[in-house]
Amino acid sequence: MFSPSDISALAITLKLAATTTAILLVLGTPLALWLASTKSRLRSVIEAVIALPLVLPPTVLGFYLLLAFSPRGAIGSVMAASGLPSLAFSFWGLVLGSVIYSMPFVVQPLQNSFIGLGSRPLEAAACLGAGPIDRFISVVLPLSKLGYLTAAVLGFAHTLGEFGVVLMIGGNIPGQTQVLSIAIYDHVEALEYSQAHWLAASLLLVSFLVLLLIYSANKRFSLVKTP
Amino acid sequence: MIEIDIQLNKAEFQLAAKFSVPAKGVTAIFGPSGCGKTTLLRALAGLEQGAVGEINIAGEIWLDRECCMNVNERRVGVVFQNPSLFPHLSVEQNLLYGRKRLKKHSKLFDLEEFYTVLGVKSLLARSIQGLSGGEAQRVALGRAMLAEPKLLLVDEPLSALDQATRHQLMSFLENFFQQIDIPVFYVTHSTEEVARLADNLVLMNGGQISGYGPIQQVLGSIETVLSSGDAAFSVLEGKIAKQDLPSLTTVRSSCGIDLQIPEAGGASVLGRRVRLRIRARDVSLCLEQPKGSSILNILPAIISDMSTQPHEGSRIIKLDVAGEQLLSKVSEYSVQQLNLHKGLPVYAQIKSAALLS
Repeated sequence: MFSPSDISALAITLKLAATTTAILLVLGTPLALWLASTKSRLRSVIEAVIALPLVLPPTVLGFYLLLAFSPRGAIGSVMAASGLPSLAFSFWGLVLGSVIYSMPFVVQPLQNSFIGLGSRPLEAAACLGAGPIDRFISVVLPLSKLGYLTAAVLGFAHTLGEFGVVLMIGGNIPGQTQVLSIAIYDHVEALEYSQAHWLAASLLLVSFLVLLLIYSANKRFSLVKTP
Repeated sequence: MIEIDIQLNKAEFQLAAKFSVPAKGVTAIFGPSGCGKTTLLRALAGLEQGAVGEINIAGEIWLDRECCMNVNERRVGVVFQNPSLFPHLSVEQNLLYGRKRLKKHSKLFDLEEFYTVLGVKSLLARSIQGLSGGEAQRVALGRAMLAEPKLLLVDEPLSALDQATRHQLMSFLENFFQQIDIPVFYVTHSTEEVARLADNLVLMNGGQISGYGPIQQVLGSIETVLSSGDAAFSVLEGKIAKQDLPSLTTVRSSCGIDLQIPEAGGASVLGRRVRLRIRARDVSLCLEQPKGSSILNILPAIISDMSTQPHEGSRIIKLDVAGEQLLSKVSEYSVQQLNLHKGLPVYAQIKSAALLS
C-alpha cells in the first residue's frame, strides 16, 4: 500500500504542517491584533503583503526564497558567514516557505475574529483593572476560540497541500524534504498510478475531514458568540 | 472634591470640561444628545487617547501634566450604555472579574448581602445570554461596584430598556446610590432621572460645561440650557409630614413650607425623606391671593429673578417661597400685563408636584 518513502513523506508533511501552524499562530496573533486595531496607513501595505501568496503562483515565492537563501543569496550568504546552516534544501527552509505561503490563511481569520470582538469587552476589562496581557488571556482568547480553530485548521490544511514553494526551496530529497504532494507527483511521473492513488485519496479524505470539522464547529460555536 | 479640567480634540468636536463637585453623592451630567457627555465619561475613565489636563479624584491624581494613569490603574467603575458583560463567563464570574484583580480588598464587603441588594442572587450560576435587559444592567453595575472604585461612571443605563423595566431599574438605582458611599457620575438626557437621582448637576452643551453645582443651585440659575427650555423644573426636598386631610399627603420642605399632594399610597410613610419635582410650566402667578381655586398649593412668594429675554414667547421667573426656590414659566404677555419684576410679591399656584421617591 504505502512504501517506506511514502510513509516518510507523510511524516515530513505532517511535521511540516504542525510546525508551520504553531509558528503562524504565535506570529499571527500580535500581527492580527495590530491589524485589527491600528489606524496606521501602513496597515494596507502589510495586509497586501500578507495576502500576496493568495494570488502569486507558489513557484514565484519559492524562486525568490531560493535566491535569497542559497549560500550565495542575500540572506544565505550572511547566514553562511555567521556559521548557520543553509536553509535551502532543508526542513527549516520548508518551514520558512510554508510560514510565508500559509500566512494569510492564519492571519485573516484571526484578524476578522478580533475585529468582530470589538473594543467594548476589552474596555470593560481594562476598567475592571485588567492589564493588556491579562485582557488578552481572560477576554480575547476565550472569545476568539472559533477564530483560532479556523486559523489553525486552515493553516494546517493549506500547508498539507503545498507544492510549488516546497519544490523550489526544499528540492525533492526523499526522507528530508520530500512531502506528500511531491511524492504523488513523482509516482505519477513514474506511471505508478496505484501508489499515487493511495496517497492522493488519503490527502483528499484528510482535507475533507478537516474542513468538515471547521464548518460543524462554526455552527456549534455561533450559538455562544457575542450577540 | 473631584476636580476635573480636561481637553480633548477629536475630528468631530472638541471637549473642554472644567468643573468640580463634592466626592460624594450622585452627580448628573446632563445635556442634549451629542454634546459630549459620553466622551467626557470615557476621558475620565482613560478610554480616550489624547485627553489632556487634570483629573483629581479626592486627592488621587489620574491625569495631570506629568502623568496619565492607564485605564486599568485608575480605580474607576464604568457602567456602559449597553451592559458589555463578558459572554463567555457566568453571571457570578462577571461580577467577580474586577474584584479578583484587586490588590487588596479595602472594605469589608458582604458578598451575600450585596447580591441580595442587587437582586442577582438567583442569577449567579446563569450564563449571560439568558438575562433580561434590566438584569444585565444590574450585573454590570454590581461588577463595577465589586471592584471597589473611587468613582463610579454610569452612562445612560436606562436608555436601552423598555418603559416598565426602566421604572423598576430607576427605583432600584435611587435606593442603591443612597446606600453606597462612592461618588457617582451619571450621564443622562432625561430630566426625570436628573430630578430623581442627582445631588449635583453638571450641564453640558457643545462639548463645554455650561453650569455645575448642587442641583438646587444649578436648576435655579435661569439662563442655563435646562431652565430656558420647556423642561425647566425645580426640585424640593422634604419629608412626608402628616396625612390628616382625606386622600392628601402633606410634604414639608426643608425650609418649612407645606405642600399638599394627592395621596401617594404606600410611598407615604410618615417622616420619609422625599423629593418633589415641580415643572416651571405647572407654576402660575397671581398678584392677589386667589379664592375658590381647585389648585391645592397656593403660596406667597417673591420674584427673586427673571430671565431677561423671552424664549418662545415665555419667560422663566425665579421665586423665593419662604426660602425655597421655585421656577415658574409665564408668557411674555402676562409678564407685561401684570408688570412682573424683581422683588414683586406674588402668589404662586402650583398645579402639580410629582413625588419622586
